[in-house]
Amino acid sequence: MSGATTAAYLARRAAQKERVRILYRRALKDTLNWAVHRHLFYRDASDLREKFEANKHVEDLDTIDRMIADGEATYNKWRHPDPYIVPWAPGGSKFTRNPVPPSGIEIAYDYGREDND
Amino acid sequence: MALRAAVLRHIRVPVRTLAATGSKPQLQWSLCNSIRLFSSDDDHLTKEEVIDRVLDVVKSFPKVDPSKVTPHVHFQNDLGLDSLDNVEIVMALEEEFKLEIPDKEADKIDSCNLAIAYIYNHPMAG
Repeated sequence: MSGATTAAYLARRAAQKERVRILYRRALKDTLNWAVHRHLFYRDASDLREKFEANKHVEDLDTIDRMIADGEATYNKWRHPDPYIVPWAPGGSKFTRNPVPPSGIEIAYDYGREDND
Repeated sequence: MALRAAVLRHIRVPVRTLAATGSKPQLQWSLCNSIRLFSSDDDHLTKEEVIDRVLDVVKSFPKVDPSKVTPHVHFQNDLGLDSLDNVEIVMALEEEFKLEIPDKEADKIDSCNLAIAYIYNHPMAG
């Protein structure tokens, strides 16, 4: 029985760790979205890191769950309305524009010139 | 007078001037094709370049001792980083290669090996 509870504990712990990692990743990206300059981002990022480090040693599972939920709520509240998206990604400025031609098709960049011109 | 004659000759037989200079622009165009100055998606990074740039990013991470970094290093086990540092390294790699890695996949990248394989196999890595 204790084996089952230990397994359940570990599973819940692993899920929490993953949630924290993903929350940190999203929050860090959002920090970069809000920062106008790189040097501002560095300070904001270290502040964010400190917020995460402050609760590093919390052991109680329910407290951790509540903290993660709080963090996700804060993240959702302050999410940037117009985040940076890599140009080719969905929502990016170059998404589906000028798509790569299928392989096997050759493009001749001679602008309609014939061989005997 | 000579100039006028030359201009008139030029206008009267435009076909001949085109034919005479026809070979030169063709040469230029083929040169352009071989150089390909445009940013294009179909040329892909080589494995060596990916490895070099990944290692550069990892080495320049402040908490990492650059002498320990090899292509087979594990971020948390070998470099003494924690999971949040791992997140930061993956984000730095995303910026370096202009990628957008989905959260779940980025979470799985925990070593140089995996990062190199992922980036090398990504079609949009640049």
